[in-house]
Amino acid sequence: MNDRTTQARTTEPGTAPAPPELAVRDVTVRFAGLTALDGVSFTVAPGSVHALIGPNGAGKSTCFNVLSGLCRPAAGAVTLGGTELTRLAPHRIAALGVARTFQNIVTTQGTVADNLMLGRHALTRAGFTASALRLPGARREQREHLARARDIAELTGLGAHFHSPVGLLSYGDRKRVELARALCLEPRVLLLDEPVAGMNAAERARTAEVVAELRAELGLSVVLVEHDMGLVMRLADEVTVLDFGRPIAHGTPDEVRRDPEVLRAYLGTDATGEDAA
Amino acid sequence: MSDRIRALLTRRRATLLTVAVLLCLPPFYLDAFWLRIGLFSMAAAIGAVGLALLSGTAGQLSLGHAFFLAVGAYGYTWLAGDPGPGLPTALAVPLAVLMAGLAGGLFSPVAGRVKGIYLGIATLALVFLGHHVLLTAESVTGGFNGRSVPPLSLGGFTFDAGDELTVLGVPFGAEERLWFLGLALFALTWFTARGLLRSRPGRALAALRDSETAAAVMGVDVARHRSAAFVVSSMYAGLAGVLLALAFRRVVPDYFGLVLSVDYLAMIVIGGLGSVAGATAGAVFVTALPLLMTRYADQLPLVAAPGSAEGAVGPTEAARYLYGAAIVLVLLYAPDGLHGLARRARDRLRRRRTPTTDPTTAVPSPPPPAAAARPKEHTP
Amino acid sequence: MTDLLDSLLGGLALGAVYALVALGFVVIFKASGVLNFAHGSLLLFGGYLVAVLHDDLGFAGALALAVIVTAALAGAMDRFLLQRGGHDAHSAHVQTIVTIGIDIVLLTELARRIGGDLLTLGDPWGDAVTELGPVTVADSRLAAIAVSAVVITGVFALFRFTPWGLSLRAAAEDMEAAALMGVHLGRVRAGAWCLAGALAALAAVFLAAFPAPGLERTTGQIALNAFPAAILGGLASPTGALAGSLVIGLTEALVVGYQSELHVLGEGFGDVAPYAVMLLVLLVRPNGLFGAKGAARV
Repeated sequence: MNDRTTQARTTEPGTAPAPPELAVRDVTVRFAGLTALDGVSFTVAPGSVHALIGPNGAGKSTCFNVLSGLCRPAAGAVTLGGTELTRLAPHRIAALGVARTFQNIVTTQGTVADNLMLGRHALTRAGFTASALRLPGARREQREHLARARDIAELTGLGAHFHSPVGLLSYGDRKRVELARALCLEPRVLLLDEPVAGMNAAERARTAEVVAELRAELGLSVVLVEHDMGLVMRLADEVTVLDFGRPIAHGTPDEVRRDPEVLRAYLGTDATGEDAA
Repeated sequence: MSDRIRALLTRRRATLLTVAVLLCLPPFYLDAFWLRIGLFSMAAAIGAVGLALLSGTAGQLSLGHAFFLAVGAYGYTWLAGDPGPGLPTALAVPLAVLMAGLAGGLFSPVAGRVKGIYLGIATLALVFLGHHVLLTAESVTGGFNGRSVPPLSLGGFTFDAGDELTVLGVPFGAEERLWFLGLALFALTWFTARGLLRSRPGRALAALRDSETAAAVMGVDVARHRSAAFVVSSMYAGLAGVLLALAFRRVVPDYFGLVLSVDYLAMIVIGGLGSVAGATAGAVFVTALPLLMTRYADQLPLVAAPGSAEGAVGPTEAARYLYGAAIVLVLLYAPDGLHGLARRARDRLRRRRTPTTDPTTAVPSPPPPAAAARPKEHTP
Repeated sequence: MTDLLDSLLGGLALGAVYALVALGFVVIFKASGVLNFAHGSLLLFGGYLVAVLHDDLGFAGALALAVIVTAALAGAMDRFLLQRGGHDAHSAHVQTIVTIGIDIVLLTELARRIGGDLLTLGDPWGDAVTELGPVTVADSRLAAIAVSAVVITGVFALFRFTPWGLSLRAAAEDMEAAALMGVHLGRVRAGAWCLAGALAALAAVFLAAFPAPGLERTTGQIALNAFPAAILGGLASPTGALAGSLVIGLTEALVVGYQSELHVLGEGFGDVAPYAVMLLVLLVRPNGLFGAKGAARV
């Protein structure tokens, strides 16, 4: 974690070392007799955008919960580089540089700045004593990281709202706060759970742009769950399709679009067109 | 921009200085009755700030606060007294606070894993078991009748009515002297608690309250932070306990019961959960109310003087009705308590004074943690 | 041996009474997610009504009226003060603290009325005892066991066989889904609070009966001992509450019965033994003996 702290500070955009490979192997999750994920495997190549799609209830969010340590699989393993994530607590996984957003917005009270600084938690060290006594080290750390959080707010288009309470922002902006907060972790792997759900066309386009930029500049790996097929087709390098917890197809967006299994899973709707939700 | 911030800072410093001077005046003008109210309020405020950190900020309900107050009060009395190691009193104060923190730490296997309102029930155990220990461990606690508290001496200066001392023509007894001690400890509490709330640990605790899941995936070690919040809150309670012991000059087990825990909860609820200023206001309200009602019982309608006919509404009862009702009303109608009411009033006033121009100033409630850079303060 | 049997019977009786109180906690918690800290004062309120009414109405009449009025008070508390907050988890927490405020007011009023007195409830058992083989048992204890058994069976039948019980269980599973399926949450809640109030009033009678000296202003605090019982059971499980109550009742009675052997723990440890047991259980199982670990929710 300490070397990550220094790395995060010194890394310049565009020069980041490639993130490690994220591999999901035969992951199975059961809830009270119900199998939510059944032998799911896929690999996120370093620096790529990997989309997980499928109808509602296909297990996409469960898969994210496994990746971020909120849910422990009954079988299978997730590894990031050489580290197995499946046995780690969520905060340890965060410290390894895996950040995520949530499908329904989960922000905390306070300002955008507060939320973004929460994203810096794993990269900072000020403890209870140092903070209570306002020791110079803790204050300096806070100042430096606040500056970085402001940069990230600018990057995601939240600069003007940096000191606004999150509760007063529009839906799209709050969704962006989540994205910015995840970026504040200086992630190597970013998990985005429906980043544009509920947004209007302009907001969608803006978020897509940000994600594309991030990937180009920071070279991070992105795992994307999204119903907006247009977005998936535009951003993703690879797509894994889940249905009832089972992987039914895998490949480039073009391959997946033509897969008959996928079309059946979407009940005959044209998967390339509208929002499949 | 930097000029504005500098102007703001100096203005803040000036306000701070004025408040500090004003708080130093009462011992020169008010009699012991009012000073005692102030002293108890300051002690309560220190404890309430601790509970506000735990219950307001971290969302962990505690009904065990009285136990940690007792650890602080009895810890000081035992450490500085006989029977006991008889340490120098100045050393016994920080040690008693550490003892309270240690007691909170020992509870951390529960405090770290039991969350929210359930912790409230678990902490009931502390109050009842603690009370039992205070009654039975007579060699340390003095049993039912308690112990007398040795006065604090700091470098030859003793906080009691002992040797004659006159400052600016005013004779300084125990209350006058303790007032300044209380003030210093309260300032320490204010400084440290605000520091905590506005930095990394404070944000982590607030995140835990709002969403444990979000906090965890942002890298917050959930159990560790819950335990730490409990320890910190216990230490503030311990400090409050020491000050209360010094002010009462005697500690008895029955004071540290469930009622006291509920009083502290009332303070932070009435004040507005999770803010240092709110906890302080709530502490003053809950502490001063019964004392004032006792003093002015004969002038209040519906309240009988203490010790009058049985069944009449005495001042203590009247005060309890009032703040019991206050808890209900605050939570139903003004969930952010006195602190929120004050903030809304201030905002309304300010909005009337300054027509808003900048879109960022249209925000109805300015965010507390960013106070230093609040753009609104300085709109001409 | 007789001592042991004595303690066991006493513990069973105490556990039966705790079960009435703990069931109240659990029913309220299932229906509204609220921990009712005003339960002790509701219990005291019921007991106080019996004490002041039994001269005029006779014991049975006074008890019936007290049960009805306490049930109504609990229902009104929920309907007019708590339900304003809504039905989600956050408001349940706020409402829990509201019950503490209500408790302060109600308890202060009752304590003022009762003062330092010991009130008799005029119960028919008095200080009569029955010889059961080698042990002598107070009739009031036998009555407590018998009445609790009947009432608790009745409550479990309510859960299982009535539409209200079904709604209650559905609401406890998932409030939103239950509401969507046409469960009237407000009515389910009000019913639960009324039931809990009625059980509390009934429990008050047995807590004040022989060998207890009578109803005091601190009788309500005994109800708090049922909190550990409900926690042991995991708070959302009526069966768990029942088991927890028996564990707590037996522990308390055994500690009191073997006071002389346990003198290291200090005199009067029996009163706080329930809390010691609760702490030990929470250390090992933070969700209670019967509580399942809730799935992580965002």
